[in-house]
Order: sequence, then C-alpha cells, then structure tokens
Amino acid sequence: MEIEFKMPDLATTDSEIKVIRWLVAPGEAIKRGQALLEVETDKAMMEVESIATGTLKAASVKVGDGIVAGQLIAVIESDAIAAKPATPPAPAAPGPASAPTHLPAGGMFAKNRAASAKAAVESGPAKLALTATQRTVGRRLQESKQNAPHFYLQASANAEPMLRARTAAAPAKIAWDAFFAQAVGRALKKFNRMACRFEADHLVPATTADVGVAVDHEGELYVVALADPSAKSAAEISQELRGKVERLRAGDPEARKLRSAAMTVTNLGATRVEAFTAIISPPEAAILAIGRVAPTAIVEAGGIVAQNRVTLTLSADHRVVNGKYAADFLTEIIRELESL
Amino acid sequence: MKPDPLNRDFLLKLYEKMVLIREFEERVKFLFLEGTMPGTIHQCQGQEATAVGVCAALAADDFITSTFRGHGHALAKGLGVQEMLDELFGARTGCCKGKGGSMHMGNMDKGMVPGIAIVAGGIPLAAGMALAFKMQQKPQVVACFFGDGAVAEGAFHEAVNMAAIWALPVILVCENNHYGASTRVDKVMKNPRISDRAASYGFRGETVDGNDVLAVLAAAQRAAEECRSGQGPVLLELMTYRRTGHSRRDACHYQPKEERELWFSRDPIERFGAQLMERNDVTAADLAGVKARVEQQINEGVERAKVAPQPTVAELTEDVFA
Repeated sequence: MEIEFKMPDLATTDSEIKVIRWLVAPGEAIKRGQALLEVETDKAMMEVESIATGTLKAASVKVGDGIVAGQLIAVIESDAIAAKPATPPAPAAPGPASAPTHLPAGGMFAKNRAASAKAAVESGPAKLALTATQRTVGRRLQESKQNAPHFYLQASANAEPMLRARTAAAPAKIAWDAFFAQAVGRALKKFNRMACRFEADHLVPATTADVGVAVDHEGELYVVALADPSAKSAAEISQELRGKVERLRAGDPEARKLRSAAMTVTNLGATRVEAFTAIISPPEAAILAIGRVAPTAIVEAGGIVAQNRVTLTLSADHRVVNGKYAADFLTEIIRELESL
Repeated sequence: MKPDPLNRDFLLKLYEKMVLIREFEERVKFLFLEGTMPGTIHQCQGQEATAVGVCAALAADDFITSTFRGHGHALAKGLGVQEMLDELFGARTGCCKGKGGSMHMGNMDKGMVPGIAIVAGGIPLAAGMALAFKMQQKPQVVACFFGDGAVAEGAFHEAVNMAAIWALPVILVCENNHYGASTRVDKVMKNPRISDRAASYGFRGETVDGNDVLAVLAAAQRAAEECRSGQGPVLLELMTYRRTGHSRRDACHYQPKEERELWFSRDPIERFGAQLMERNDVTAADLAGVKARVEQQINEGVERAKVAPQPTVAELTEDVFA
C-alpha cells in the first residue's frame, strides 16, 4: 500500500522548513520511527521519522527546498497489508447534526497554513521567501545593530609577512583567515575585555576562546568557530578551518549549528572591497572586517615604496569597551600580523 | 482494587497501566507525525512509573493536578483511552469536549483537574483544593504533579509555604526528569536534591527512584497516610528521565548520549516486567497478553477518534471563558 508522507508540524512558528539531507535513498527499506530526512526549522536541526515500515518509493522534496508543514515529502510503499477499510466502530456518542469529520492529512490547520504560505509567495510580483537561516541572521543582526552602540576603528597592516609565510608553506596553502584568526586569538589574551558580553548592567566574560570566521555558503551566512587559535600555528588553524568549511558545505548538520565564539572575523578580501564595516554578531562585543590585500605606495625612510597591505576595520560595542581600549586592541592585532 | 504489592492481579494491573501509557504515547507520536492530529504534544515515555505509582496509592475520589505533560497522569488516574484520544482529535466526545487538547487533559469526575500548562501553576491550585478538603473535614488528599523546572518558580514557594503552615493534605510530587525544557537541572540549582527543600518549610521530603513503580507506590502510600492524618504536606522527589524532546518540536540534541543510555537501561517497564517474572505465577505470556490487549484498545480508540464528532461553531463559546 502506498502511503503519502506529509511534512509534520515541527517548526515552532509557521515558518518555512528547509530540507538539509535525505538519510534514506529511494528504493531503500525503512522502518517506522527511523529517521528519514533532516530538516532545519527556525530553531533547530531535526530528524523527521518515518511513519511507516516499508520501502521509500519517492522522495518528493529536494535538498535545499523550503517546505511547509502538510506538504508531501515522501511516498512510502508500506509492508502492511492495507489497513482494514473504513468500517470503524461507531462513535461512542454521536453528536447531533455533526457530520463525521475526517481531518485533512497534515492536520486541521495545515491546509490553511500551506495556502497562506503559498499566497505569501504568489501575491505580488516581487516577493521572495526568506530561508529560515536568512530570517534568523536578519533578526539577530537587526537586534545587534539596534541595541549595541557600534563604533568603528580602521587601520592598515603590512601584509608582506603573511605573504612570506604563505610562500614558505607552499605547496600547502594557508588560508588568509588563519592569520587573522590567530592574531585576534592572541590579542584577545591581552585584551580580554573585548571578549566580554554585555548583560543589562554588567559584563560577563566569554566562556570560550574560540574565534569565529564568517563563511558564505550558497548565499547563506554561517560562522565557523575555530578552537582557541592563539597557541596554534597558522597551518594548523588553516587546516581546521578548511575541514569545518568542507563539512558545512557537505551539509553536515553539526557544522551548521550556531556556535558561540569570543569574537568573529569576516573577510571580503577575495573581492575588490578594500575596507568595510561589519555588524557585531551578538552576544559578542566586536567583529573584525578584513578587506583585500593590495600593493600600496607607502613612504618608507623618506622614499616611496610598494608594499602589500590590508585594511582592518574593527566594529566594537561601546557598552563593553571605550575607543582607546579598542584602538590598543586593533594595534595589537596589527603587531601580531606584522611580526609573523 | 486495593493496593497490595504482594497481590498478583494488582501488580499486573499496575504493569498494564504502565504499558498503556507507553503505547498511548508512542501511538500519539505517530498520529502527530502523520499530521492526523492537531497541535503539538509533550510526552512522558520513560516516566510511566511516577504517574502509575502515585495514582495507585490514591483513592478514586482523591484528586490530582497535572502539567502540560499529562497523558500519563490522566491514564493512571483512570481516564479512558477513548475520552483522551477524542480530546486529542478535538472531538466533542473528548474529556474536555475537544476544547482542552493535549495540554489540558482531565476529568473532574475521575479526580483529575484538567492539566495546567503554566509551569508550577498547579501547585497553588492543589494547595487550595487541599485547604477546601481540610475545612470541609473531608478525608481526600491532592497529589500535585510538577517537574524539576517548577521548583524555581515563585508559585512553588508561595503555595508550598502555605501548605506547610496550614498542614494541608497535599502530596507534592516532583517528577525530576533532569531537564526543564533544554536546561539540565544542575545548571539552575546549587543543591540539586529537591527533596531537601521540604525541611526548610518544616515538613518531610523524600527522594525516590522514580523508575521503580513499587518504590513510588510505597512512598506515595506513606505520604497519603500522613496527609490524611493531618501531618501533610509531603514532598516526593521522583528521579526519572525525559527521553523525548520537551515537545515534539524539540530535537533534544542537548542530552548527552551516555546519560541517555544509562537511563534507557533503567526503563521502568522492563524493570517491573523482570520483577514480575521472578514470581512463579506470572509468565511471559501474561506480559505479552497485556501488550496485545493494550495495543488493540488503542487501535480501536484511534479509529473511533478519527471519526468522532467535532464541536460545531454554535458551541464555540460554551464552557470557555475566553
């Protein structure tokens, strides 16, 4: 018997649910209660358990699809002989003038919900549904920008030592972010107030020494947390970063989870952007924005020379630190980068 | 039936209630996943011994108050499978005429106040009922179920203090399942032994293995006796474990694997089943028969509930305040 499996109502709000990966391939056997696929709601990653034992006949939604509760997600060829046709025992106390009401599959309200979600997308020409991740990112960053009084400090660093370290490591390639995460991790050891969280009328030290690195994956923003990079070599940090980014791109739900970090680094150096200001990722107190490394004319010993340089912009929460402290912190990061 | 921990039929009744709760919850889980039943659910698989042990110590006209995780309490107190399934399907034949749903299971005729979904919200109410019994010189007691999360609420302190100063006949049953939503109990309590709190209010508290139904029964019988003789209240802390997410929408990723495995190895039904098998008058076939009977009861109940009559629009404002 074919069973149509509809998406259970697993989101805490009526938000869209994203398909992360299938755990069973069409044609494979499944058991009732076995995890069939993984989805991401506005709140968590969840496994969706099969409602029947049999064979997965068809997966009706693809990885990356945004779906709603009540939508068909799979067709299962059930092992069970067709359940007894509808000759259920008579209702114990039939109510007057009330027609038997078979609930629509997907629940009483699923139909309305599916319809309103559809209408939301279809009405008007230019509306685009946000993914659950984008909604969460948007909400958190709006909260940060509105609540945390940001101030910005900018300075440039000599990138030649990093270029030399990269050349020396060849053929291995050290990710640029490894140097920045390492420098931030080390500077945080001396300037630990930068890693505090603001809470009402006091500061709470971060419980982690991890440094976050912002990663773009198919247009979605994620932060990969690097385990305390202060005592590690750039090569080790680079390897950890590459491994974590690969797992994220492969759809590993563990890698996609939001991790708390002491501070985050965001890097647009692969583009033409020279410098930019970033929004602090709450509950952190600062974020470092990295522009591209480019040859720059500088004055050295009275003459003009060409040197590869990179511009760093620190966004800091003024409730946590004042300008002088943040300036000394940024100077320390630059000192670390230039003394490789 | 009179609670007698030596009587075979009584023990099999206890076992059947526990299996009924487990199978009911499992079936309800799939009804939720299938989308045939509206609303989310908070489930109690693995906590069957607390509900069954406490309710077995009570008389039919004693009362219980419950929480949003109340299916087990309801079945243990004697609500029927059909009135509960009908309630879950929003049918007018449900125990609250389909207007309460999962979080408000109850039936005053059977001694259960419909579930109170506010954390700790049932404690003042239970104290109030106990005060009424005392003032009317009635012999009844109230067993008030709440979780470990409720202990940090102001309502716990206020109601427990009043119950203490007036020596009210209320058994305060804390089902310590180790998690308040996603927060482990030791993160929110310096002294994680909840029964210790009773002494600070001036009455007796006791911590009991909440996955041992006979230990729970014995503790609840002692507590009920004390309450009836004017020596209440009593705080029972029943140690158990929540093996599902807080609700069906909670993936429960925060519970450590080793901790889950440890508690799964203390399954209250398996333990009690093994204990029963040690008797020479209980066979494996007896226990299998219990499971088959329960499954059939639930299967039939679900088929009926699916076609049970829904309330009409004209009844929308009946029996409700808002």
